[in-house]
Amino acid sequence: MQTASLTPGGASAPEIPLIDVTSDLDEDGLYGVRRLVVTATEVTVSTPTGVPTCRIALSDIAKARHDPLVSGGRMIVTLKNGVIIPVVNYSLAVSEKFSEVARGIEQLSQGEELSIDMHDELKRCPKCDRLLPEKDGPCPVCVNRSKTLWRIFGFLKPYSRATTMLVAGSVCTTALNLIPPYIQKQLVDGFTSKSLETSGLLQWMALWLGLALAGSGLQIFNGRLMTYLATHISKDLRASTYRAIEYLSMKYFDRKPVGAIASRVTQDTDRVWHFLVDGFPFFITNSLMALGVIGFLFSIDAVLAAAILVPIPFILLISVRYWKPISNMFFKVSQRMARLHMQLNESLSGIRVVKAFVSEDREFKRFDERNKAWQQAAMQADQKWYTAFGMMTFAASLGALINWTVGGMFVLQGRLTLGEFIMVNSLLIMVYGPMQWFAQVNNWFSRAMAGAERIFEVMDMTPESNRELERTLDIRGDVTFDAVRFGYDKSNPVLKNMSFDVKAGEMIGFVGRSGAGKSSTINLICRFYEPDGGRILVDGVPLNEINIANYRSQIGIVLQEPFLFNGTIAENIAYGKPDASLEEIMVAARAANAHDFIVSKPDGYDSIVGERGVQLSGGEKQRISIARAILHNPRILILDEATSSVDVETERQIQEAIGRLVEGRTTFAIAHRLSTLRNANRLIVLERGEIVEMGTHEELMQRRGVFCNLVETQRAVTEIIGVGN
Amino acid sequence: MKLFYAPEGRLRLTMEDRSHLDVVPAWAAPRTHPDRYLSLLDSKGKEILMLERLEDAGADNVEVLRQELRRRYLYSQVRRVNAVRMEFGATYWSVETDRGHRDFVTQSLQENAQWIDEEFLLLIDVEGNHYQVKPVSALDPDSLRRLRSVV
Repeated sequence: MQTASLTPGGASAPEIPLIDVTSDLDEDGLYGVRRLVVTATEVTVSTPTGVPTCRIALSDIAKARHDPLVSGGRMIVTLKNGVIIPVVNYSLAVSEKFSEVARGIEQLSQGEELSIDMHDELKRCPKCDRLLPEKDGPCPVCVNRSKTLWRIFGFLKPYSRATTMLVAGSVCTTALNLIPPYIQKQLVDGFTSKSLETSGLLQWMALWLGLALAGSGLQIFNGRLMTYLATHISKDLRASTYRAIEYLSMKYFDRKPVGAIASRVTQDTDRVWHFLVDGFPFFITNSLMALGVIGFLFSIDAVLAAAILVPIPFILLISVRYWKPISNMFFKVSQRMARLHMQLNESLSGIRVVKAFVSEDREFKRFDERNKAWQQAAMQADQKWYTAFGMMTFAASLGALINWTVGGMFVLQGRLTLGEFIMVNSLLIMVYGPMQWFAQVNNWFSRAMAGAERIFEVMDMTPESNRELERTLDIRGDVTFDAVRFGYDKSNPVLKNMSFDVKAGEMIGFVGRSGAGKSSTINLICRFYEPDGGRILVDGVPLNEINIANYRSQIGIVLQEPFLFNGTIAENIAYGKPDASLEEIMVAARAANAHDFIVSKPDGYDSIVGERGVQLSGGEKQRISIARAILHNPRILILDEATSSVDVETERQIQEAIGRLVEGRTTFAIAHRLSTLRNANRLIVLERGEIVEMGTHEELMQRRGVFCNLVETQRAVTEIIGVGN
Repeated sequence: MKLFYAPEGRLRLTMEDRSHLDVVPAWAAPRTHPDRYLSLLDSKGKEILMLERLEDAGADNVEVLRQELRRRYLYSQVRRVNAVRMEFGATYWSVETDRGHRDFVTQSLQENAQWIDEEFLLLIDVEGNHYQVKPVSALDPDSLRRLRSVV
């Protein structure tokens, strides 16, 4: 069905492929491989065996686009004669790539230069061939451990003295721990041979006391040092991660949910410092200890030592065998707990609705179900853990049994003194204690490495461009768009070839249906995104030559849904100018018609707003946001539909405030209510990312075009609503 | 009404004196009411009509509709679970589906393994592709055991 052989001459001479990509679905929607090749003259899709399923001459193509389907997509080509041909199907795994390809085909067919981003994303780890959890991301299994490890240790650098002391302290503790068993041996041998006198005993005991004191002192010292290091490194890691994230471009924030970004700052950094302060010292200290003890044991009696250590491989085996299922089970427990939390959160924040619909019983049932599900999972996990733990304890106690059997026989045979036997017994505990955790070290380590890799990935990402530029500009306010093209996803341009000139101090209103490109234009003016093509100039200077912080500090935004931070009203107004005096703040608030309602609050300007503060109405928030913009005193002002869903009086007050705010500033305003745009010097009417009309309100009304149509529709709707009331 | 591809590859719906090109069939509630309530939208996304059942379209049209739906809804149904491995928070799957063999990886099963109901598990891989396990109990014992080991 999709085979369309439209090249006049059929097969053409082999040419260099300009684009060569593979999809993962065949014509019938089954998983399979299709290869799409674009040469300078044609587009060919073929099966892995080389049988073409579709072949189209580039010269016949008018348009090529990506048609988004559910959980995938397909590429569709429109020929110059109007025929539409589905070219190839693909799942979401490659749809982004194919939407780029569609754009490329269109460029080539129109004789343009091929300019698409065909960066090949890495889906599988090149080393172990595992699928990657994030495209181009680190493989959690084989991240370059030594390099990452080295970098992690870089965070210890500012604390090199403390680190050295910690390592030295750990080694000393190990050494100190080995001495008491030796004292025991001396004492017991002394008792049995009756060669020890009271004074000798007291001398040994004094030494033991000294060791115990020194050991405890060292332990306290180490513990305090460890805490010092732990908290500092944790703080440093989080700070550098947060800092790196802050400077990333808006595109990153569009792609990643806030939760996922936040977890890099909290969870991933946690994993790393856990490893640094718990895992690493544990591993070093206990390895040293184990090696020391084992060496010591062999020096006493090689046969006995070998016999005693027989159960150790079993302990390691149990640990390895059980670790995976148990950690999976505990993962499931936390999963169930999270679901319970979610349910609780939801029903409590919606308690008004729950009560209104008398659905307390239904909500309780849902809660109870999840609660039970958690209980089941938690019980199974804990029970399994105790089983494994019991088995390990048994294996460990085998060590003691072997010692008593073999060692006991050696004592009877006179091969071993009683003292030596006691010493071996004490040393035994020191090996077996940490052994059951050893098998987990690798896993522990890998988790930390994966976390670190994710943190470093963010740190290594290119921050917003132009942060380093030195050129600053005192903006007058001329803004020029020169053939600007832009799309959040490149294959799907939201703004096409947009050009306009704005003089300093002008107020421009953007009009158009939702999705016409109003907000995207604003986003570009704020430089939240870079245009894909064309230039934006401010006072004749290309935007990408100006330091971004310097530029943004001269832009003010009043958003559709004003965002207030947790803090006082005064702090919120002064967000753009933190050192403003209360007088300045009040002047701004008066100009924004906000002063009166603010002082009538019990705490006036000191009222706490935001998530846990006093409730403000939509109109009040908007006026605070306007006051914020007035105080910030920007050269370029952005108004994103500042008046919506408020009563007539409030709207009048807001309009008045905006009137004061826009004076003498270049202003770009978006409003669905067309009447509010009357004050604008010029209106720009957008449709599907293109400017269709431009002029004053009167001019556009006289033209009786798109704008006039919009106004009349809206008037009609308002009247109907009016009658309905 | 009559549904057919004309010109090739473009679904057309002709009813009495009107004809709509590039008709898009869309399930109203594909998870809870699969195979019921199918909306036919015109090229601008406006509903032309709703079919309560696929068969209501008439015997001649059902096949065309099925074909278009199959092309549009690229979900796949998991028939067999060959292997599941959880490593460091990512879960690696190897499954047989109604569309053939597929390997994929899911991150954070907490968000990406969703129980729609007792018998319906939805897996969403890192790219956003959907894999449905439904009914869960119809899987063979081995597959079920592997599935249960992670979700």
